[in-house]
Amino acid sequence: MSKYFKKTAIAFIAVLLFALNASAKDSGGNASKKIDIDLTRMSSTMVYAYVFKMVNEPTKFIGKRIRMKGVFSSYYDQETKKRFFGCVIADALACCSQGLAFEPAKKRKFPDEFPDEGTKIEITGDFEMAEDGDDAYPIIRNAKMSNE
Amino acid sequence: MPEIIEKISFYLDFPFVQYAIIVGVLVSLCSSLLGVTLVLKRYSYIGDGLSHVAFGALAIASVLKLTNNMLLILPVTIAVAILLLCTGKNARIKGDAAVAMVSVGALAIGYLLMNIFSTSANISGDVCTTLFGSTSILTLKAEEVYLCIILSCIVIFCFVLFYNKIFTITFDENFARATGVNTTIFNLLIAVIVAIIIVLAMNLVGALLVSALVVFPALSAMRVFKSFFSVTVAAATISVICSLIGIVIAILAGTPVGSTIVAADIVVFGLFYLIGIARNGGN
Repeated sequence: MSKYFKKTAIAFIAVLLFALNASAKDSGGNASKKIDIDLTRMSSTMVYAYVFKMVNEPTKFIGKRIRMKGVFSSYYDQETKKRFFGCVIADALACCSQGLAFEPAKKRKFPDEFPDEGTKIEITGDFEMAEDGDDAYPIIRNAKMSNE
Repeated sequence: MPEIIEKISFYLDFPFVQYAIIVGVLVSLCSSLLGVTLVLKRYSYIGDGLSHVAFGALAIASVLKLTNNMLLILPVTIAVAILLLCTGKNARIKGDAAVAMVSVGALAIGYLLMNIFSTSANISGDVCTTLFGSTSILTLKAEEVYLCIILSCIVIFCFVLFYNKIFTITFDENFARATGVNTTIFNLLIAVIVAIIIVLAMNLVGALLVSALVVFPALSAMRVFKSFFSVTVAAATISVICSLIGIVIAILAGTPVGSTIVAADIVVFGLFYLIGIARNGGN
């Protein structure tokens, strides 16, 4: 009886440990996808000020997961033959625009798989610095994009 | 209501919002203190003229790529303030004509320089932010906040220390001179303080709206209160409260900060105007 009890107890503990380990792994996975800065919760004045801060002091935000709403914009650089995508936010007075470049998480064909210029989009991704020769600029990488 | 309070406390966690509130309170307090003197001395429009001079100096500083543009803006604005306020009676171009000339001249030259020697890809944004304040109060750096605190303390200290002299000069300069007050020195002091306030206030409401911070609180207080002291205290209180209300509304509703503060000042002026009429029994 005690032999069965011992085996059952060991099996139970093993299952429990496995479950705990799995749940820890699962929660770790979710934690990495946690949004650090959610700009969609803020008013346009606050978003403008926050993005201004991100562009001017990018080192403070590297590695943070960002969610933002804005309008889709793209730019083709003739020199590097590369297309850049941006999520642009106009300030309250609509004269000073502030935006962040982004890199979609999965490759998309331009223009078929992208929204039209000026379409409202929401992106969620990781804030990083992209190097371009001697220059570096802030960019949102692994960006998931959805149209409104 | 709890949602609004929750949102306000959420926004108050951001350092740049805290900076905006500190600078907003200090600038509105300083501008209202001197506002009473300027309105009574018939220099209400000096704020507009000097802020345009500050805009012109900012354009020159941008062209020269100065890292700290205050090094140019502050001395230039102080020099023009002294020129306008201290040589007033002896100058060949007098009073309002001199203010108007300096005002539009500096604005035109500033905009011209910004266009010809553009150092930024977003000229319209730069001009818009400088003229209307836009969101510049929310984009202040810690150093700018410290500078604002130091300059505001100097302004408040000077006003409190020389309150009696400023009071005498405001109402009767000739009488003050007859009683032995060195009016030239105190007019110079007022000019320097006014220039400092204008330069500080540009961050809050922008160059075009600076006059509102100087004029509205003083005029509102004058509708209800009568003595110089009570008008000054009331103007300071009105100005600080309107700035706080304006900043909070702008942050919550996403409206431009400067014009929201001025709108709050206009509403309070309307209220005080009605209170004044009611107090005087319709006279």
